[in-house]
Amino acid sequence: MALNDLFNSAPIAPALLTPSLWMIIALPLLGALVCGLFGRRLGRENVHLVACAAVAGSFVLSLLAFWATSSGAPSVPDTFGGFRTSHALWADMGTWFRAGEFRVNFGLLVDHLSGTLMLVITGVGLLIHLYSTSYMEHDDGYWRYFAYLNLFVAMMLTLVMADNLVLLFVGWEGVGMASYLLIGFWYTDPAKAWAGRKAFVANRMGDFGFLIATFLLVLVVGAFSRQSTPEDFRFVRTFRNGQSTETGRGDPSRFQAGLALRGPVTFQGLETLARALPEQQSNGAVTLTTPIAEGPLKGRTFGGVLTVALLLFLLGAAGKSAQLPLYVWLPDAMAGPTPVSALIHAATMVTAGVYLFARMSSLLVLSPVAMATVAIIGATTALLAAIIAFAQDDIKKVLAYSTVSQLGIMFMGLGTGIFWAAVLHLVTHAFFKACLFLGAGSVMHGNGDETDIKKLGGLRHEMRWTWVTFAIATLAITGIFPLSGFFSKDAILHGVHLNRIAGYEWVHSLLFPVGLVITACTAFYMSRLYLLTFEGKRSPEAKVAHAHESAWTMTLPLVLLAVCSVVASVYAFPVLKGRPEALMDNFLSSVFGPTRDIVRSAGTVILDDSLPKMTDYLLAWAVALVGGGAAAYLYLSFFPSRQGQPAQPFALQVRRVVQNKFYVDELYELVLLRPVKFLSFLLYRVVDSFLIDTVLVRGSAWVTVRFGSALRYLQSGDAQAYAAVMALALLGGVVYALFQVL
Amino acid sequence: MVPISYYLFLAAALFCLGMFGVLVRRNALVVFMCVELMLNAANLTFLAFARMRGDSAGHVSAFFVIAVAAAEAAIGLAIVIAVFRSRGSVNIDEIKTMKH
Repeated sequence: MALNDLFNSAPIAPALLTPSLWMIIALPLLGALVCGLFGRRLGRENVHLVACAAVAGSFVLSLLAFWATSSGAPSVPDTFGGFRTSHALWADMGTWFRAGEFRVNFGLLVDHLSGTLMLVITGVGLLIHLYSTSYMEHDDGYWRYFAYLNLFVAMMLTLVMADNLVLLFVGWEGVGMASYLLIGFWYTDPAKAWAGRKAFVANRMGDFGFLIATFLLVLVVGAFSRQSTPEDFRFVRTFRNGQSTETGRGDPSRFQAGLALRGPVTFQGLETLARALPEQQSNGAVTLTTPIAEGPLKGRTFGGVLTVALLLFLLGAAGKSAQLPLYVWLPDAMAGPTPVSALIHAATMVTAGVYLFARMSSLLVLSPVAMATVAIIGATTALLAAIIAFAQDDIKKVLAYSTVSQLGIMFMGLGTGIFWAAVLHLVTHAFFKACLFLGAGSVMHGNGDETDIKKLGGLRHEMRWTWVTFAIATLAITGIFPLSGFFSKDAILHGVHLNRIAGYEWVHSLLFPVGLVITACTAFYMSRLYLLTFEGKRSPEAKVAHAHESAWTMTLPLVLLAVCSVVASVYAFPVLKGRPEALMDNFLSSVFGPTRDIVRSAGTVILDDSLPKMTDYLLAWAVALVGGGAAAYLYLSFFPSRQGQPAQPFALQVRRVVQNKFYVDELYELVLLRPVKFLSFLLYRVVDSFLIDTVLVRGSAWVTVRFGSALRYLQSGDAQAYAAVMALALLGGVVYALFQVL
Repeated sequence: MVPISYYLFLAAALFCLGMFGVLVRRNALVVFMCVELMLNAANLTFLAFARMRGDSAGHVSAFFVIAVAAAEAAIGLAIVIAVFRSRGSVNIDEIKTMKH
């Protein structure tokens, strides 16, 4: 097995690489600094060089780090007295900040999960940088653009490399800021600036939930470290072939020492907590139903607080990943440059929510309520977005809704406990959706920035590279057999079908058919997009008579991404000898293995490890073919043959409602914005204008002035006036004396 | 013999006239004259009471008052002249330096 040896060797020893992990983040940050400060003076070529080189360097380092994790030797020490995290590099740079008992370390962790994401971020990011050098050729703000792009990559890397929730939040906020800057990149256009603002505000709402959830977890960990007994740390127990073997016993003091050393929000500590909680033990051990003894959460149970924290994390993830309550920003965010859409809205940032839940999987499986909510939110979002995508005519908006929909599918996977498939779909989606977005950008580039698919058509012969890659990516997302999207989506649907959340069995029987409907919808709208853009005759309304193919810097990323979206399907196969599970499952088992142990001892989810059978594949394939076939029939023969005939009023009505996104934005306007606006109007008029401005500010001045002008008469400087006062006093004295005498 | 109340009423009338003048007149010299009038009203009461009691304490007091009034007139007039020189007016409406 020469290949195996290659993977298990590390070209640079982990011990050498670990102290330099920070450079992976620092390189693009430095690139952003150089481009941002000196970009205008450096000139176009140099900015391109700096920006691409920074990301390329980061990519090489990520690759080396990722490679080193597989060499077997390195692992993170079991600071918390739990398990050694295997197949990971970990660099702790010491205390970042501390306040009283609470401390946060600046620690970076590269394991198979974050390593996969690092490769996606820097790899796809590099291709998008390369593509941007051509796409932004004529833009004056190119240096600003590349600075933002580098900043985004740096922040996204911080997000995935963080070994604790607080550092993750830094990246979480950082990508939000970078996306705000990039979506509103053409800030002179008010609509585009507004879109950036909308994304920012929607994200902030989610981030608020994230923060509160983090604080809750800090409190829970603190309460646990005080209440736990040695009995809790019986988790040093391994499951092999369904048999549980106890291999030792932990120690609460180890956990507390770990907290003192590395802070309460490190993922390793949270995992130890998650392992300790579900055990059905006696002897005063802390379990999910134990009430918290002291502190602000006194009286609530550990499980209850965890559920609330996870639901708040879901809100945070909904903001970042554009899920149901907060998804409205993503389609508007298409106002930014197209490569940005590909980088942020397909490959990286919007998947941050999926990453977060994959990272927190050990806690998630402890709460069936949270899992069911995640799955249902995901399914609802996916279905709603897929239906809205039916009626969009803007090429980028269709892709945007498709992204929302695909993310919903990933959340369905997370909510039903098939984490590896969600991550796999994240990766494959990054490939084909980035390819689609960049293809759309290429189409726009070659057609005078036309985005209306009804005014395109027939590009097949004019833009060959774009056509081929776009077709491959469309097939991949549609779920056609040999491409990656099919397998990753099918793995999720398989999990949704067969995994069972304890107490919420109906979720699965409901979600599986919904998942099939979503698949059919995806196939339909993607086929429609593809057919209207590339097939048929050129629309008479087209802006330019003949489209031109883009430069190699734009087509090369397209080709590479298309190749990736084909090749990535290998991860869904059980290719390893003696390993029945899929390659990605096996590969991520170092991350999700502990989660499995927890699930087994908690019994909150019943995981099904079987691989999809041929019948499952056939069903999924048939559904996708039906959706795609319906689109092909409608848009290739039905609608063209009815050209010139009036459409049904009912159909027009439905189309209008769907086109306006079911009036969700308007609903928000009515339910949220109006009351808030009215309240702020009231506050402005009553509190600010009247109470503060009139009564307090001007009122106090008025009183002083009046008082002063009254007192002024007492000091006129007029000797006669003083004398008059004296005389009056004298008179008073005389009158008093007279009364006394008489 | 004229009863003492006649003298006291005359003194009160003189005092009131003087005070009225002090309060309403604008010319500093006239104000001074009115002050003299008030002092003399006081002197008159002193003398009237002295005669009534038949001792000399009242006379002594009256002499004191005359001496003080003379000194006051000397200094006051000097101030009025100094003010007139610096401002060209002895109108006390315009002299409000006590404000500061």
